[in-house]
Amino acid sequence: MASPYLECREVSRYFGALAALDRVSMTVERGEIRAVIGPNGAGKSTLFNVLTGVLPASGGRVTFKGWPLTGLSPWKVCQRGVSRTFQFTALFRRLPARENVRLAAQARSSGRWRPLLGGAVRAETARTADLWLERVGLEHVADVPAGLLSHGDQRLLEVAMALAQGPELLLLDEPTQGLSVEETARTVEILRHLLAKGSLTVLLVEHDMEVVFSLADRITVLHQGRVIGDGTPAEVKRLPAVQAAYLGGLD
Amino acid sequence: MSPIAFLLTQGLNALALGALLFFISIGLTLIFGIMRIVNFAHGALYMLGAYAGFTLAAGTGHYWTALVAAPVLVAAVGLALEFTVLRPLYRREPGAFLLVTFGLALVIGEAIRLAWGPEPRRLAIPAVLGGSVSVAGEPFPVYRLFLAGFGLAMVLALWQFLERSRLGLLIRATAQNAEMVHVLGVNVRWVRAGVFALGCGLAALGGVLATPLVTAYLGMGVNVIVEAFVIVIIGGMGSFLGSVVGSLLVGVVQTFGNFYLPDSALAAIYLAMIAVLVWRPRGLFGREE
Amino acid sequence: MAWGLALIGVAAVAPLVLPVFLVTTATEVMILALFALSLDLLVGYTGLDSFGHAAAYGLGAYTASLLLLHAGSPLPVAVGLAAAATALVAVPMGWLCTRTTGVSFAMLTLAFAQLLYAVAYKWQSVTGGSDGLAGVPRMAGPFGVTWFTSRTGYYYLVAVCLAASYAFCRAFVASPVGTTLLAIRDHERKAEALGYNARAYKLAAFVAASFFGGLAGALYAPFAGFASPELFFWIVSGQVLIMVIVGGSGTLIGPMFGAAFFLLLEHYLSAVTDSWALVLGLIFIAVVIFVPEGLYGLVRRRPPAVARSRPAPEREHGQPVP
Repeated sequence: MASPYLECREVSRYFGALAALDRVSMTVERGEIRAVIGPNGAGKSTLFNVLTGVLPASGGRVTFKGWPLTGLSPWKVCQRGVSRTFQFTALFRRLPARENVRLAAQARSSGRWRPLLGGAVRAETARTADLWLERVGLEHVADVPAGLLSHGDQRLLEVAMALAQGPELLLLDEPTQGLSVEETARTVEILRHLLAKGSLTVLLVEHDMEVVFSLADRITVLHQGRVIGDGTPAEVKRLPAVQAAYLGGLD
Repeated sequence: MSPIAFLLTQGLNALALGALLFFISIGLTLIFGIMRIVNFAHGALYMLGAYAGFTLAAGTGHYWTALVAAPVLVAAVGLALEFTVLRPLYRREPGAFLLVTFGLALVIGEAIRLAWGPEPRRLAIPAVLGGSVSVAGEPFPVYRLFLAGFGLAMVLALWQFLERSRLGLLIRATAQNAEMVHVLGVNVRWVRAGVFALGCGLAALGGVLATPLVTAYLGMGVNVIVEAFVIVIIGGMGSFLGSVVGSLLVGVVQTFGNFYLPDSALAAIYLAMIAVLVWRPRGLFGREE
Repeated sequence: MAWGLALIGVAAVAPLVLPVFLVTTATEVMILALFALSLDLLVGYTGLDSFGHAAAYGLGAYTASLLLLHAGSPLPVAVGLAAAATALVAVPMGWLCTRTTGVSFAMLTLAFAQLLYAVAYKWQSVTGGSDGLAGVPRMAGPFGVTWFTSRTGYYYLVAVCLAASYAFCRAFVASPVGTTLLAIRDHERKAEALGYNARAYKLAAFVAASFFGGLAGALYAPFAGFASPELFFWIVSGQVLIMVIVGGSGTLIGPMFGAAFFLLLEHYLSAVTDSWALVLGLIFIAVVIFVPEGLYGLVRRRPPAVARSRPAPEREHGQPVP
């Protein structure tokens, strides 16, 4: 195998003297579903923000398919095939759900620069949008402004938007946060169904351990900005450092 | 004129101008600090202070009455405005404030024109502040010395008020974290309204002080608002020190600039604002937003 | 759609039936409508409240005036070149301005417009200083064509320009670029996370708005016969902003009605009372507070492309326009 699909090498991010990320190294293989877990403040969202260029890295390198990701602005990172959802739902609240997904699809089409004569682009992206709305079960609220949807529907809409972009690497930041038990189960089911299909590589930040164990191939454990465990779910459960720091209070 | 005399007199001129500018800019920056809004109507309130001051001084025959009463009146106007027009906007997007205060600037300006007419209003310098003194051998207007001195005194007084007094502490706390203050049982709405009124009053004070120098004329609000913005942006939105330093800087640049390059003085101010907005939007002392 | 055709029909025959001075008024309304339309691209669709759109207006007016006075350009050529020149100047200006948003953007655009005002005021040799450029002629040509030099002819010229500009803007806001602007307006960070180079799109909107604003100014100078520094003044930027907001931002049509409303108010109210500007200011404030979707948005019974205020739960669902 050539260079790894996604590689973080000694990635650090400092806020003043505080190390939110401290020489984090990890390797993700193509097609893998990797969960990133850790207590609050462990640096999971910071890792995502550094990966996607929202925050510059204070040190280290990130490469994706051999190309460097570090130093790229967020839109460039996305154009490399990386899509993400956010910990706090980020949507175009005043636009209808369908338009949200359509815009996501449009962003990765070559026609996105057209100031005129965009009919064909519009039609095609609308088709993609309807397709994904149906897949996540939101076709019945397609015309509702995204800001008016329920929290659970909003989280699903965000996932649909990320997937409509046809990414090669998908970053999901706590997709089940704030969802009821039933909504969580529905989301996991949808995710599992969608992930089983394609050759998508997923990085998943999650607090809900059941979701993690039901979806993840491998788990990386962060604590205070450092990697303290990395392996299959079974392996990670057994590591004493991990048990001490995090899994001690499994609910 | 000897170089020392030149520097001294022009320096004092700059101080006097800086003092006037301070009164306008400190109100603007205080309002921004506590309400996160940019009060576009600030120049119009300055103008209102000038005209009100003129009427009060002409009516009562005492300049000092005007100096005290006009700011109080305009502060009351500001309080009324905050209560009626600005309150509904707190829940809206920030652009709404900008638009509404802009509308207020137009309305207030027009109201002044209708009430006082298009002719500028002259206000005589009070006798006790008239005439000139000798500064390094050159005659220098007493009134400008008064402005410089009064401005300095007010800077110190305001600074002490904000730093030492209970009310000042409340204001600073609300500027930093309004929610926290609210949780502690303080009526944040009244603090906001009070600061807005204070800011308006200070602007009006500047207007009254300026009138004997430049007369009260229509359009003085427009001229001053851009300068005030330049100062607040250079100094940093919401920063007291920034307002002081900025006012001094602009006062110096305008005074000496007018002397050496009279044609470019106007353009220089705008270029300065553009430069700051583009490369250091938070100014010299502003907070990272 | 039916309303639109009716309007076009009325506009087409108007100069033939209206008294002469009303034709002039109508022409002025259309020029201002174009000016307001151009600003809507920035305010209503990109969410950038420009307080300096007079910069484009003034640049267009002065460039056209200089071309007509000194280069003897045929009028259509002068107008076209002036609009293009304004767009060209808007590139570096917009590049700097789009580094900021919100209040800073508003102040920056204001500063640029005031800077141009100061330059126009002082640069006596080129701009005529405080007197401006007078006697701007409606030059004939090319090929000796003169139908647009008369009052009625000029009306039709402006009408055609307005119609063409509106058609372009309509198509533009529905295009991939246009729809992206709405996304950037709603949540710029998210648009960037989706892969949109938000800065580039905002610059595109700025340049487009400046082109049409410059076109309006270029049409104004030969209409009025002069160009003066006042065209750059912040009052003008404020007036066009009022037209957009009162008319209804984000609809393209609303601002045009706002322009008509503004001008008619000015003409008829100023004959009756001295305080028409006061009334307009009060209306403006009332609209911002109580009717944020503007008069046109109110009339349409459906909110425009993107509601200007936060969506209230009891409002009808919005649809993108068109």
